[in-house]
Amino acid sequence: MIRVAVASAGVIAPGMPDWAAARAVLGSTRVFESQPLADIAPASLAPAERRRSSPTVRLAIAVAEQALDSTALQAHEMALVFSSAEAAGLITHQLCEVLAGSREVSPTQFHNSVHNAPSGYYSIAMNAKGSAASICRGPWSFGAGLLAATAQVVADEVPVLFVCYDSPLPAPLSDSMPVLEATAIALVLSPRAQDAALGSWEVAVLPALAPDPWPAWMPPLWHANAAARGFAALATLAAGASAGAAATVPLSDDLALRVTRC
Amino acid sequence: MTPLAIRSYTTTSAAGTGKEATAAALREGRSGLAPNDLPWAPLPCWIGRVAACEPVKIPAAFAAYDCRNNRLALFALEQDGFVAAVSAARRRHGADRIGVFLGTSTSGILSTELAYQQRDPVTGGLPEAFLYDTTHNLDATTEFVRGVLGLKGPAMTLSTACSSSAKVFALAERFIRLGLIDAAVVGGVDSLCHTTLYGFSALQLVAPDICRPFDPGRRGLSIGEAAGFALLERGEGAVNLLGYGETSDAHHMSTPHPEGDGARRAMLEALGRAGLAPRAIDYVNLHGTATPANDRAEGRAVHGVFGATPCSSTKGITGHTLGAAGITEAAIAILSLEQGFLPGMPTTREVDPETQCAIALHGEARFLERVMSNSFGFGGSNCALVFGRAAR
Repeated sequence: MIRVAVASAGVIAPGMPDWAAARAVLGSTRVFESQPLADIAPASLAPAERRRSSPTVRLAIAVAEQALDSTALQAHEMALVFSSAEAAGLITHQLCEVLAGSREVSPTQFHNSVHNAPSGYYSIAMNAKGSAASICRGPWSFGAGLLAATAQVVADEVPVLFVCYDSPLPAPLSDSMPVLEATAIALVLSPRAQDAALGSWEVAVLPALAPDPWPAWMPPLWHANAAARGFAALATLAAGASAGAAATVPLSDDLALRVTRC
Repeated sequence: MTPLAIRSYTTTSAAGTGKEATAAALREGRSGLAPNDLPWAPLPCWIGRVAACEPVKIPAAFAAYDCRNNRLALFALEQDGFVAAVSAARRRHGADRIGVFLGTSTSGILSTELAYQQRDPVTGGLPEAFLYDTTHNLDATTEFVRGVLGLKGPAMTLSTACSSSAKVFALAERFIRLGLIDAAVVGGVDSLCHTTLYGFSALQLVAPDICRPFDPGRRGLSIGEAAGFALLERGEGAVNLLGYGETSDAHHMSTPHPEGDGARRAMLEALGRAGLAPRAIDYVNLHGTATPANDRAEGRAVHGVFGATPCSSTKGITGHTLGAAGITEAAIAILSLEQGFLPGMPTTREVDPETQCAIALHGEARFLERVMSNSFGFGGSNCALVFGRAAR
């Protein structure tokens, strides 16, 4: 059994611009209403970097900034676990278009195409020099990333910034992976009980558990988003939730992560 | 940390199919690189191609996974009795107690590149037969390997560019230490594709001739493809994972810190976890990509930590296998331990006089007790691994 303190959270999704908004919806004190997302402009990226970076990078860093802003834990002390089903997305589309034509690839586009571009830009922006993992587990990327993050918190006794994000994909890639709206979740997880501002979690790997059904409030469009699986876990921290509240997040088609508030 | 046994491992690259062929190439100083003969990417450079994986048949049950990356994965998996070793571990521990952690940088992106060449002229759609989830997604090879090996434990793909398949050792070690699993298959697979060939060319990092790490006349890297796997388990083996270090440069997306600060901290962390002083390391397998900026930064960092400890880059033999470089060079480091030799650098004519670390240009037979392998990637991602023989 792994036990971690949840120090802070960040959320970006249409109709959920931050954790406070998400918490209210998850605790049923506010009715979900989709609102187009405002332009995402992370404060910690210099204007030149903001221009050079991809929408996925900006989404991941903006949601991470929210979580950092609501904890006293310092960014440079945290290990990083970033997770996404398809981090390159738009860049992959642009590269494949160029490669099917002139093959004149832009150097910036190429270095932006790596799956760890978001954690790379983040580490530069925050001067975070510790370990940084960048995880992919397809549709199960939230559960896999959260498991890797909580394992590192406990094994290395370090705070970990966990970020999971889906950035919209353009056609024709979206025919294969229909991510049409952005969803992103950030969590600061700590080994110290006194950091549990939002609560504590026990996580365990269990075989053959069906994942929780998608919540009724969630737009069906988001079911294609790996990060959307995280809202079940966040609900255990929402207004009105108490110890014992639990969520089941898929890790594979035969394995799940059980997250229990304690 | 408590060492973990490496019960079985295998490596396949242009240098050789399986351990013995690879060891022979390393001992004999024979490069697997050749002038680029890919009809679909006619660039003037050298490549490390594993042509033998191309006709591999994917089993019918996994037909949806058919792509170059998974053919290379299956081809490599079938060498050196690796599948049998995993089967034995599965019987010891149970399928759900063995994890799968693989690194890659581009997975099967070649499938998507080819699909984009065949878009419907009217709708712009991709061909009906194109399967993104199982042939391109970064996790496609991990899920394929998990299925082929019949494993049911936690699995995931780690993708931090050229450090990917080194960092999987760290991920697996934490899972084993916490008791989440009893054993792990770690490794990595990366295959030739347009994205990396044309992308690194756009960055002017691809050499027109064969790559020559640490040579004063080096002109960049030669891209290769490779797959490799290792089975990690609690206990002591003939060879063992002793430590690892993972850091970020926090400096630049595609160029290393000029003094190799992140590399230095990764090496020191790996030594710290292993409980070893630098002098306990007998050989360092360098990342050594043969780009001037990378070689200089790493050379300074390695010299700062190790002084006169011999080191070499084997990328002139295998090419830079990107997301598979970590496992390829971990396997080379373990081969050098097991068989007692220092790999040389056959494509390097002389050592750049600016180089500070103690380059072993010529291979030789030598008893090695403990070795380090370095892997660094875009995003300033660094990983150092320490391997050692069983304690006597």
